[in-house]
Amino acid sequence: MDISRNTMEIATACATAAAGGIVCYGATLNGITWNDGGPEPGYFPFYIGCLIIFGSLVTIGQTVLRRATVSDVFIDGERLRTVLAFFLPIVALTLVSAWLGLYIGMALYIFYAMRVSAGFRTPASLFTAAVVVAVNFVIFEKIFMVPLLKGPILEYFGIY
Amino acid sequence: MGNFGQLMDGFAVALTAHHVMIMVVGVLLGLVVGVLPGLGAPNGVSLLLPLTFTMDPISAIILLTSMYWGALFGGSTTSILFNIPGEPSSVATTFDGYPMAKQGQAVRALTLAFTSAGIGALTGVIVITLLSSWVANFAMRFGAAEYFAVYFMAFASFIGMAGGSPFKTLVSMMLGFAVATVGIDTISGESRLTFEFDELIGGISFLIAVIGLFGLGELLLTMEEGLKFEGVRAKLDIRTIARTVAEVPRYWVTLVRSALIGCWMGITPGGPTAASFMSYALGRRFSKRGKNFGRGEPEGIVAPETADHSAGSCALLPMLALGIPGSATAAVMMGGLMIWGLSPGPMLFSTRPDFVWGLIASMYMGNLIAVVLVLATVPLFAVILRAPFTVVGPIITIVCVIGAYTVANHVFDIWLALGFGIVGYVFKKLDYPLAPFVLAMVLGDKAEDAFRQAMLTSDGSPAIFFANPLVATMMGLGIFLLCLPLISAVFKGGFFGRAGAGDAGAQGRSA
Repeated sequence: MDISRNTMEIATACATAAAGGIVCYGATLNGITWNDGGPEPGYFPFYIGCLIIFGSLVTIGQTVLRRATVSDVFIDGERLRTVLAFFLPIVALTLVSAWLGLYIGMALYIFYAMRVSAGFRTPASLFTAAVVVAVNFVIFEKIFMVPLLKGPILEYFGIY
Repeated sequence: MGNFGQLMDGFAVALTAHHVMIMVVGVLLGLVVGVLPGLGAPNGVSLLLPLTFTMDPISAIILLTSMYWGALFGGSTTSILFNIPGEPSSVATTFDGYPMAKQGQAVRALTLAFTSAGIGALTGVIVITLLSSWVANFAMRFGAAEYFAVYFMAFASFIGMAGGSPFKTLVSMMLGFAVATVGIDTISGESRLTFEFDELIGGISFLIAVIGLFGLGELLLTMEEGLKFEGVRAKLDIRTIARTVAEVPRYWVTLVRSALIGCWMGITPGGPTAASFMSYALGRRFSKRGKNFGRGEPEGIVAPETADHSAGSCALLPMLALGIPGSATAAVMMGGLMIWGLSPGPMLFSTRPDFVWGLIASMYMGNLIAVVLVLATVPLFAVILRAPFTVVGPIITIVCVIGAYTVANHVFDIWLALGFGIVGYVFKKLDYPLAPFVLAMVLGDKAEDAFRQAMLTSDGSPAIFFANPLVATMMGLGIFLLCLPLISAVFKGGFFGRAGAGDAGAQGRSA
């Protein structure tokens, strides 16, 4: 499954145009005209939104016009799988971290990455995960005194 | 020269044992950041910034700028040894650096790169020393309209001088402005573009955007490329280093030209990446040995490296003197200054001379330390880089995720950073420039305030932007820069592309 560059150009430009539309709509909620106190809060964002839409439309136009000549591939199926195999675990990491805290999240993530993605043996992966957690704990909790999110399990064991 | 005395005072601030130690730590961290692809200078500085909130501003800025120097230097190591640029600005160094290293002259290539980089950086710092307080004095006369004109000029030059599509630059920049307006409006106190989401009331930090766009986005790209480091071995010996350093003055023409290009591109917000490419292109055109470029020609290393570093340091001049950063990293640092309670711009020179001159003095020291450390650590990084990226990648990911969290201790910020990561990945692949996005995010509020104040004083008439010669000149220059892509499209041949013949033809026609 290949995604062509032209498809992606147009999809992206549509997305930025939509973002511009949202900005314009949000700006109208604050008022985009002038009143006694000068420009209303939505005045500046409204025109920003318009410029986003303008730029996006021109990009769409340019892409459509040179359609016949450019036949680049944005990403093919195999590369897409590689990127997703890297990105989805990060999403999982964030989900777990939000629920159980960053330390447990990063331990599970590093273990997964070492064991499954990099193909290390289980003991080596466990060891790497432990080292990463320990190093981060020392850097953030001890040296810089910036506490990271602990989550219910660590709090149950009395680590705040 | 009043500046000289102040610079000496600055050295007194910068040369304490505490600050020199901070410089060494900063440069080392910067080297790590610069060497690892996926972890660049803007991103590295963003990650470190939340940890400096408790430090005093002078130590904090010295740490961050030293990291910046380290990152600029570190990027060249991988370019030369592995043909993989650690930083976007060191891409041009791969063209001749890697071929020379493959011919068994890795140490010569590295030394050439670092020496000319050091010369470029020092040139930049000297320019800052000489010009900054002059520019700041000049800027003391600025009112709201003048400030808006300066911002306008900065943004226009991004659109006008960008290599790619000016419309993509426009979209990227305006999205940055839009993201900057999210949250509470500073003038009216109303919440804007939050759409009733409580998480958005506080606004979106530019640090989150940088971590996502430059950090996670870059990681996704690197993963997709399936990066493998197959490097050239380098054994350092002092004699080769010394011989190469002695060889550098021979390239003085290239050095001067590249330093000039670098300073210009750094002060106008062209940034180090554009500077290094431009310097390489001009070097190939004008050098007597231009035809050897790309085959391991020394001047092909000297040209981009000098320009890269002089642009990198000059990018701090407009940040300090005007409050307008010349590169993405400078933008992040400026955001830091504002968080520490300092407002960058002309007033800073009179209110905190110790800070300004301490910082400038530390730039001299920091760059010297960086030259030494980068050479000394080449063997170390060559070993680190042999670790497969499937191991390095997840560790960088962890650093980015924690970095996003520590900005404000919000889990929501991690989700935002992931979102920005996807945007960064897609934008990068489609040649949308990311630096204007960050610049607009940092400057968004200030530009908008300047615009609204100016319009208030003139009762809504845009004529205030042309009311006196100074502001009119700046606005005119800005408009000219905006029209540059149009002008060069009309006179086919390009602005930087085929100069010479094309330009002569263009002049003929326009006359």
